[in-house]
This record gives sequence, structure tokens and C-alpha cells, in this order.
Amino acid sequence: MLARADRGRLAGLLAPAYLWLTAAVFLPLSAMLWFAFLTDVPFGGREASLTLDNFARALTNPTYRILLGKSLELGLIVTALCALIGFPCALVLAKAIRGRAREALFLLVILPFWSNSLVRIFSWAIVLRGNGVLDSAVNWISPWPVDVNLMFSQSAIVIGLVHSYLPYMILTCYLALQGIDDALIEAARSLGAGPLRILWRLLIPLAAPGLIAGAVLIFVPVVGSFMEPRILGGRVGTYFGTVIEDQFIAVFNWPLGAALSFCLLAVVLVILAIAAPVLRRAA
Amino acid sequence: MAEVRVENLTKRYAGAPALDDVTLDFPDGQFFGLLGPSGSGKTTLLRAIAGFVTPDAGRVLMGGQPVEHVPVESRQIGMVFQSYALFPNMTVAENVRFGLDVRRVSGPEAARRVGEVLDLVQLRPYAARKPHELSGGQRQRVAMARAIVTRPRVLLLDEPLSALDKSLRLDMQIELRRIQREVGITTIFVTHDQEEALTLSDRIGILRDGRLIAEGPPRAVYAAPPDAFTARFLGEANVLTGTPEPGGLRLPGGTLIAVPQGTTAVAVRPEHIALSVAEPAAHNRIQARLVGRIFAGAMGTCVLDWHGQQLKVTDRDQDMAHLPDTGPVWLSWADDKTIGLKD
Amino acid sequence: MTLRIAGRLWLALVLFFLYAPILAMAAMSFNASPFYQLPFTFSTEWYVKLAGNAEILAASWQSVWIAVVVTVIATVLGTAASLAFFRYKFPGKRLLQALLFPPIAIPWLITGTAMLIFFFAIGIPRGAPAVIVGHVALAVPYVIVVVSARLAGFDPLLEEAARSLGATQWTITRRVTLPFLAPGVIAGGLFAFAVSFDQFVVSYFLAEPGDMTLPVLIYTAIRKGFTPEINAISTIIIVVSMLVMLLAARGFRFGGDR
Repeated sequence: MLARADRGRLAGLLAPAYLWLTAAVFLPLSAMLWFAFLTDVPFGGREASLTLDNFARALTNPTYRILLGKSLELGLIVTALCALIGFPCALVLAKAIRGRAREALFLLVILPFWSNSLVRIFSWAIVLRGNGVLDSAVNWISPWPVDVNLMFSQSAIVIGLVHSYLPYMILTCYLALQGIDDALIEAARSLGAGPLRILWRLLIPLAAPGLIAGAVLIFVPVVGSFMEPRILGGRVGTYFGTVIEDQFIAVFNWPLGAALSFCLLAVVLVILAIAAPVLRRAA
Repeated sequence: MAEVRVENLTKRYAGAPALDDVTLDFPDGQFFGLLGPSGSGKTTLLRAIAGFVTPDAGRVLMGGQPVEHVPVESRQIGMVFQSYALFPNMTVAENVRFGLDVRRVSGPEAARRVGEVLDLVQLRPYAARKPHELSGGQRQRVAMARAIVTRPRVLLLDEPLSALDKSLRLDMQIELRRIQREVGITTIFVTHDQEEALTLSDRIGILRDGRLIAEGPPRAVYAAPPDAFTARFLGEANVLTGTPEPGGLRLPGGTLIAVPQGTTAVAVRPEHIALSVAEPAAHNRIQARLVGRIFAGAMGTCVLDWHGQQLKVTDRDQDMAHLPDTGPVWLSWADDKTIGLKD
Repeated sequence: MTLRIAGRLWLALVLFFLYAPILAMAAMSFNASPFYQLPFTFSTEWYVKLAGNAEILAASWQSVWIAVVVTVIATVLGTAASLAFFRYKFPGKRLLQALLFPPIAIPWLITGTAMLIFFFAIGIPRGAPAVIVGHVALAVPYVIVVVSARLAGFDPLLEEAARSLGATQWTITRRVTLPFLAPGVIAGGLFAFAVSFDQFVVSYFLAEPGDMTLPVLIYTAIRKGFTPEINAISTIIIVVSMLVMLLAARGFRFGGDR
């Protein structure tokens, strides 16, 4: 075990970060759980007692269930699209391009991911609206007038979300594919395998951890998203996340918001729990 | 089963030739060892035959048909890689069956052939294991099994034993030979270990700087290397340079060796030289100073200094027991053991 | 061969998809039309207006100084924690490392609202301090990941050698470990800056209506119906963020190769 002095140093190094995380993340989550059982916000002279009402509402109200389903569906669609679009990209980057070009292109792919997601969604709002850039571009090409206004539709939300989260999938798949020895692909070729067979029996199974990690990194935030649906979806953009947002910003029914948040957290934890063993085995 | 031939094969990387106009025949059903130092082009040649490398010039023929434009997948080859390249997500049996799946060989037939070849490499009990559960030698055998189960026209081995430790390597050499003899596939084997090449091959080819410098049955190349490099690379050799004279080669110290015109040096293998304190009667004799003895168990090596050049003589240790530790000794050898070199 | 070409084409298309809206937005910020409509007439009037828009400038400044404070705190905390993980083995290490994931893995909506509730409950008002607390918590895990990656290339024997020569722990850290770690720390700091500067969700819940960070301001402006200066400031943000990340990537990669 550690020497006395070392233990002191260890604590000194770890304590600040973890105390901060406790104060800023773990305690708040506990507070939120507590709040979920209250009838009202218990400050400013208001009376509050414990109740299961909020959870009851959260779980039984059909609207919330429908919206949760809608959010889950959105999560699945966006994740699937990111996988379909991103995996081939990662494959090309990992196996078909070498050297400095590869580094540069990889950086290019990852850069937007690090810029402000709000601003990127905003840029899609500009492109997708009626008489916006996309509309003008399509009309410029097409021989007859077309009205392209994708704004305030589920398609817009999906496009915006895929755009925001695609780099995650490309990153995780790239890391997984890069770790696959080239000799394996050569061996498969020497045995007569064509590209499809190599993809199906070798590359996808071996890159599965990357696909799953990417899926988790994308699915979880998308299910809880509210900013993108609001901006790109307008009235169509009501999802579980936006409902929670409302409770805190518009309706001020924090206990209900907390209960709904916790339902969402439960869903997220279940997903993480399912994915964890696969990812740990890979790591 | 097919014979393989490369004609005028040339490949350049960044200006430097990895293969320089190589023409070579690999006879049907024979075990051919490709030998050479690092960077000699032997792996490039193997990969060109496999199809991973497209030559800048020249042809590759299998069974008489040119295959330079045939993709790797269609060349019907079997290949064993230095790292074995076993598919980590599949069991031994699935690895071996992979090539059969590609050729759409049906379930029972495929299972039978996989079982057969696993018996051949003596790994049937391990069929359900994954590669990471196997030892190095076992992985090597799985790689072999996977390569031959499809009955390829030619088997290409890229330094398949270099990752194994010494004792295992010797066992695997015997295994390899046995398997190849049983199956009878034309086999091309790349190695930098000359002992290994000599042990396993029906024929060997030596590459240096992309060029083929020697070729033939091992014994023949060993007995008659074309140049000093080959003489030293294949086995050990003492290279003695002298001045050409009408009668042969005059060595420093006076001895005249009878050799054909044009010979500028002779090589003699350490095991062909006899050492004696008294001047021997043999025609080929030189005097040198014994500098040291190396004991290696059954055999031993004497190191000598001859006009500033280091020479080596090997013999059974017991036969050298009578020699002094240092001092002048005589070296002598038979006429037919003289290897003439024209460098 | 055609596969190769198809692959490259796909990559090009994806890159186009990734950058097209950003470039369109940047182009539109130089367009005279206040409604992002073509035809295009070049004009820098929105940038000029931006310079005079007190609200946006205040929010930008707010975002910047908050990000700077967050960077300093998160970098110190994160580097210390990374050193702890690097140097010592102790029970519960795995658990502690796993606990770094929730802030990143849980939707920020949940963390943000939870923070809102908690700070309210213990009496911390909404505003810059709350935002800083929240941002640091989100940034620290990233700093730890980056600095730990750099530490992975550090030979622990170097510290032992220094100790055998009689140096105190602090001296070792200061003169042996930190110099090596510097590129990683800088990269981690840049990550922390980016996380804070770009952070929207948590800021949204923790910021005061009158004292917003830039992303929150943009969001409310968009919800209300935007002014074109938003376009200009958005373009600036994106360019700044990308430059910062470019710096971080270069420092990280090339520093790591030393």
C-alpha cells in the first residue's frame, strides 16, 4: 500500500478535481432526484411535501410517453445515418489514405465537431429555409421552379443532428479501423475474398467497438436534445428534451422537470449499461 | 499445382530498384527458398508473385499463363504471413474454413476438408479455440492449414518461422517440409536465415540489391558460389585474394593455387580446412598464426590471422585438441574444395 | 481501383456536407440582405453593426473571460488528477476513472437542469459564478483525458531517478514532469477553453437573462427572430473555435512525438 506521505499527496492531487465534480455533478444529480419527489419548489415561502405524483405523471401521461418514443426514434435514425455515412468515411481514411494527407483530412473532418454546435445548427437554418441557400441552389440547377423549404420539419432536425454528431462516429470508427492490421486484409485477399466479404466478415466485426462507442456517443445526447429540435423544427420540434426544457424555463414546474429528467437518465443509464461490457472488452 | 515463372521483373521504389530484372523459374511441386539479406528484394518478389505488388516491368506467369493483371483474389494462391495474420474474431476452424467459404464449398464438404487439414497440422483438438489462445507455433500451423485447405496453385511463405524461438523453429522446419511433401504444392519460401533455406529447399535463389545472383539446388550453390558475397552468405567462407599468374593464383606467402584463368580469389569453407603444426604434404597450403579457439560443444572454431586477415577453421572439438593455444600453424585443403571466384 | 475512387468521392462528399453550411453562413454574413436571401451583394455592414451592438459584445466578452477562468481552473484540477492516476496505484482507481464519464456521457440537458436545481437549493444564484462552476465540471474530464494521453508517453523511471537524487516531490513535478507534460497541458487547456466557449446547454440553464454568454444570446435571438449580426458573430465564433482546435491538435500531436 501507499506510504503515508504518498497518500497525502495522492489526496491532494485528486481531491480538488473530484470535490469539484461532486459539487457540480453528483450532488446536483442527487438534488434533482430529491426534487423529483416534491410537490413544488420548496423555497420562497412555498410549501412542499413528498409525493410520487411527478413520477406518476411522467410515466403514465401518454404525451410524455409518445414524446419519449419520438426522441428514442430520433436517436435511432440519427445514429443509423451517422453509422451508414461515417463508417465508409472512416474506412477510407484508415485504410485507403496514407501519410500527411491522412492526418490533414482527419483533422478537417474533426474540426467542425469542435466548433459551436449552436452556430452549426444556425448555419443549417440559413441553408434550409425557403429562399435560402439550398432553395436557391436547387432552383439554379433545376429547369422548373421548385420550392425547397426544409425548415421546421423532422428532416431538418435529422440533417442538423447528423451534421453535428457525424464526426463522433467517424472518429471512433477511424480509431477502431486503424488498429486493424493490414496483414489481415491481405490474408483475406490471398484467400480469395472480395471487398464485400472482407467488409462483412472482417472489418465490421473487428471495428464493432468503434461503431458501438460512436453509437453510444451519438444516441445518448440526441435523445436528450432540445436545442436542435427547437431551432430547426419549430412547432414540429417537440421532443422529450424540449418538454424538460419547458418545465425549467417556461412552466417553472421544476419537480416535474426533475422527474422527467430522471426518466431520461434512466433510459441513458440502461443504454450505457448494455454497451459497457462490449466497450470494456475492446479496451 | 503449377509452376511459377517470373520474367524480367523490375520494381522501383523512390528511384531505387527493389527488383532489378529478375528472371526465375519455380518448378512445379518443389520447395524453393528465396534467400537474401534485408532489402535484397526477396519479399518484394514474393509479393509481386502474390499480386500485392505491381511490377514496373516484366511478367509473372503461373501454369504458363501471365497473371500480372490478375488481382490477388483470383490468383489462387495460398499465403502465410510473417505475423500469421489469423483473423482474431474467428475460431481456428472458421479461420481455416474462410477460403472455402469464399469458394462456396458447402457445409459438410467444407467441414470434412477443414478436419483433414487440421489433422495434417495436428491441431484438430484446437478447432474451437481463438487465435489469442494459441501459442506461436500453433498459430503458425493454423496459418499453414488455412493457406493449403483451398488447394492453391502455389504456396507463398513470407518468413513464416522468424517469429518463433530457436528450438521451436527447428521443429517447425521439419513440420513444414513434411506438410509440403504430403500436399505437393509449389512452394516459395522467403527467409533471411540461410541455414533454414538450406535445410528446407529443393532449390534456392539468392537475391542481393534486387538482383538474382545465384540459383540452383542448395548443395550445388553451396559448393560453387558465383561470388564472394554468396560464398560468405551461404555458410561461411574464407576468401583468399592473390595475384593471377599463368599457372593459377599466387597467394601472399608463396603458395600457387591451380585455378582457371580469370580467377581473382578463392574461397575455402572452414570445415574443409585441416590444421597441423607440421607442414603438410597437401598442394594447397598456407601458414597462419593461431589467435584463438572457440568452443561450441561438439564442434569448435579456430580463429587465425593470415597477413592481417581473419580466417576461420571449424572441426570437431576433439580433433583440434592437439593444437597449441597460439602460434604458427599450417592450413591445408583438398583441390576439389577450392572455390574459384571472379569478382 | 474503382472502389478506391468511390471511397475518395464519398469522403469528399462528406467533407462537403460538413463544411457547406458553415461556408454558406460565412458567405451570407457578407451579404447585404438581412434575411439571408440571395442574390448576393457583398457588404461588411453586419460586421460594422456588430461592432456597435453592445449586447452581443457584452455577451462575447462574457464568454471569453468565463472561458479563460474555466481554462485555468480546469487545467490545474485536471492535470493534478492526471498526475495522481499516473503516479499511484490505489484501490478504487478504476471506479474514480469511470466516474469521469458521467459529465460527458449524460446528456447535458440533465446535468444542466440538475445543476440549476442544486445551485438554487444551496443559494448560489444564476450568473457567471454558477456558469463557471458548471463549465469546469464539464471541462475537467477532457483535460484529464488529454493530459493522461500525454503522460502515457512519460517514463515513470525518470521521476524515480530524480527522487533517488534527493529531489522533493514538488521539485520533481516542477522540473522533470511538468516540462514534459507542457504540450499536453496546453492542449488540455485549449480543449477546456473550447468546451467552455462553445458550451450552450449548461450555460442556458445557469446564466442570468441579463448577463448571458454568447451561445445563449444567439439561441434566444434565433428563437425571437434573428438579426443578421448574429450571422456575423457566429462566423467569427466558428473561425475562432476552429483555429483554437487546430492549435491544440498541432501542439498535441507534434508535442507528443518529441
